[in-house]
Amino acid sequence: MAERGGGDRGGFGRGFGRGFGRGRGRGDRGRGRRGGGRRDEEEKWVPVTKLGRLVKEGKITSLEQIYLHSLPVKEHQIIDTLLGGRLKDEVMKIMPVQKQTRAGQRTRFKAFVVVGDTDGHVGLGVKCAKEVATAIRGAIILAKLSVIPVRRGYWGNKIGKPHTVPCKVTGKCGSVTVRMVPAPRGAGIVAARVPKKVLQFAGIEDVFTSSRGSTKTLGNFVKATFDCLMKTYGFLTPDFWMETRFSKSPFQEYTDLLAKPTKAILLENTEVVEA
Amino acid sequence: MATRVLSQKEQDIQMMLAAAVHLGARNCDFQMERYVYKRRNDGVHIINLGKTWEKLQLAARVIVAIENPQDIIVQSARPYGQRAVLKFAQYTGAHPIAGRHTPGTFTNQLQTSFSEPRLLILTDPRTDHQPIKESALGNIPTISFCDTDSPMRYVDIGIPANNKGKHSIGCLFWLLARMVLQMRGTIPLGRKWEVMVDLFFYRDPEEAKEQAEEEAPVAPDFGAVPDYGAMVPNDQWTTEQWMPEVGAAPAAVPPVAGVEWTAGQG
Repeated sequence: MAERGGGDRGGFGRGFGRGFGRGRGRGDRGRGRRGGGRRDEEEKWVPVTKLGRLVKEGKITSLEQIYLHSLPVKEHQIIDTLLGGRLKDEVMKIMPVQKQTRAGQRTRFKAFVVVGDTDGHVGLGVKCAKEVATAIRGAIILAKLSVIPVRRGYWGNKIGKPHTVPCKVTGKCGSVTVRMVPAPRGAGIVAARVPKKVLQFAGIEDVFTSSRGSTKTLGNFVKATFDCLMKTYGFLTPDFWMETRFSKSPFQEYTDLLAKPTKAILLENTEVVEA
Repeated sequence: MATRVLSQKEQDIQMMLAAAVHLGARNCDFQMERYVYKRRNDGVHIINLGKTWEKLQLAARVIVAIENPQDIIVQSARPYGQRAVLKFAQYTGAHPIAGRHTPGTFTNQLQTSFSEPRLLILTDPRTDHQPIKESALGNIPTISFCDTDSPMRYVDIGIPANNKGKHSIGCLFWLLARMVLQMRGTIPLGRKWEVMVDLFFYRDPEEAKEQAEEEAPVAPDFGAVPDYGAMVPNDQWTTEQWMPEVGAAPAAVPPVAGVEWTAGQG
């Protein structure tokens, strides 16, 4: 909570400083109201999806199990439970977008939020809403839903923990292409401000980057680096040559647990009370 | 044709021939070519029923492998397949969806009808294309009866068959249900299944109404006592049916009105 507040304020300052006064009032009001009564709703998560139920029961302990079976994540609380406190978020930009109506312009705010645990997981969320705070909140949820594993490797000599990208990868979105090249230890993240933030959240310590296209468009720039990071696990290297040993999908393993109805029991109780 | 006793597989294939399961469409999808025996002179492709039977067995094995049968969804948007789907679900324990598939049932978690099945069984990939698209997004394996011109995209097990005729669809679902029950051990192998194929056939609404009307006057003959008051209206009972029924009814209580009759008997 505290981190989010700090991150937001940092984002706000950056976004607003770029010369846009109209929304500031709205944003401040939103910020002020937040914090108090929120805790209650967040505790009572009633999972709707099968995956949600398994995560809540504690049968699934790591995100990697979800990635292994390519299970779609539909509830952000799943990520919260699995990554919890380690997840930090940062608002990259609040972009006002407008639509023309006969009564003037209808402005909405588009929020770009990057979420990550600085140890191999990043997520990117984009949300547009009429109020800044709503947009940021929605974008954080979407970012959590889109968390991706990032593969790290070595530049040379496999000593210590992996610190850089495993190989040269490139990602593209719109006209922006971002290319990441493995770098030796100590090089640091050699990138522009925007991709640097994303790579820090991913947990990559050293990397050389090169970009092309209209990197001014932050939306595309950030999506291109995200796409690039997605590809790190898509690249077939010799360590993946071994035959996969398939394991049971969690839906099959815990089919008895999932078969137990949850809503039915609640309905029964209320009916009994009424009768 | 054969004078000796036919094996189970041969009997099934004989039934499939009678139901015209082997008659495909005039077009042939390239992925269905391996199941087609030949193209007739009038353009119709003939499906190799031996392969159909093998694919049915494969599908049945997959269905049996799902521990909780409620996680299987059987679906048909087309009217010809709806009755078959309902009966299939009744006998195997699956969940039927007859009629329109609301888009988002497998993907939109906010919908009330949201469900995440482990397996999907369809009658036609072309008319049921919406559930196929959604199952692809949700990691759901799909089994489907495919005609020679059916698109095979995202269909994991395609059973080559005629999915246009009502007898054909009914026969196929009946066979699949019987195979599943035999593999589970509910029905012993080799013996005939008491459930008739006709139960799985689609009935036209007029046909269904005619049959219901035939059954109504016939029912009292059977002597099922509780049915009297419920089924036949009082007027019919006292004026028309009363005289011939005197001999049939065991009790000698003279009825004054239909109400008293049921009170005495019930």
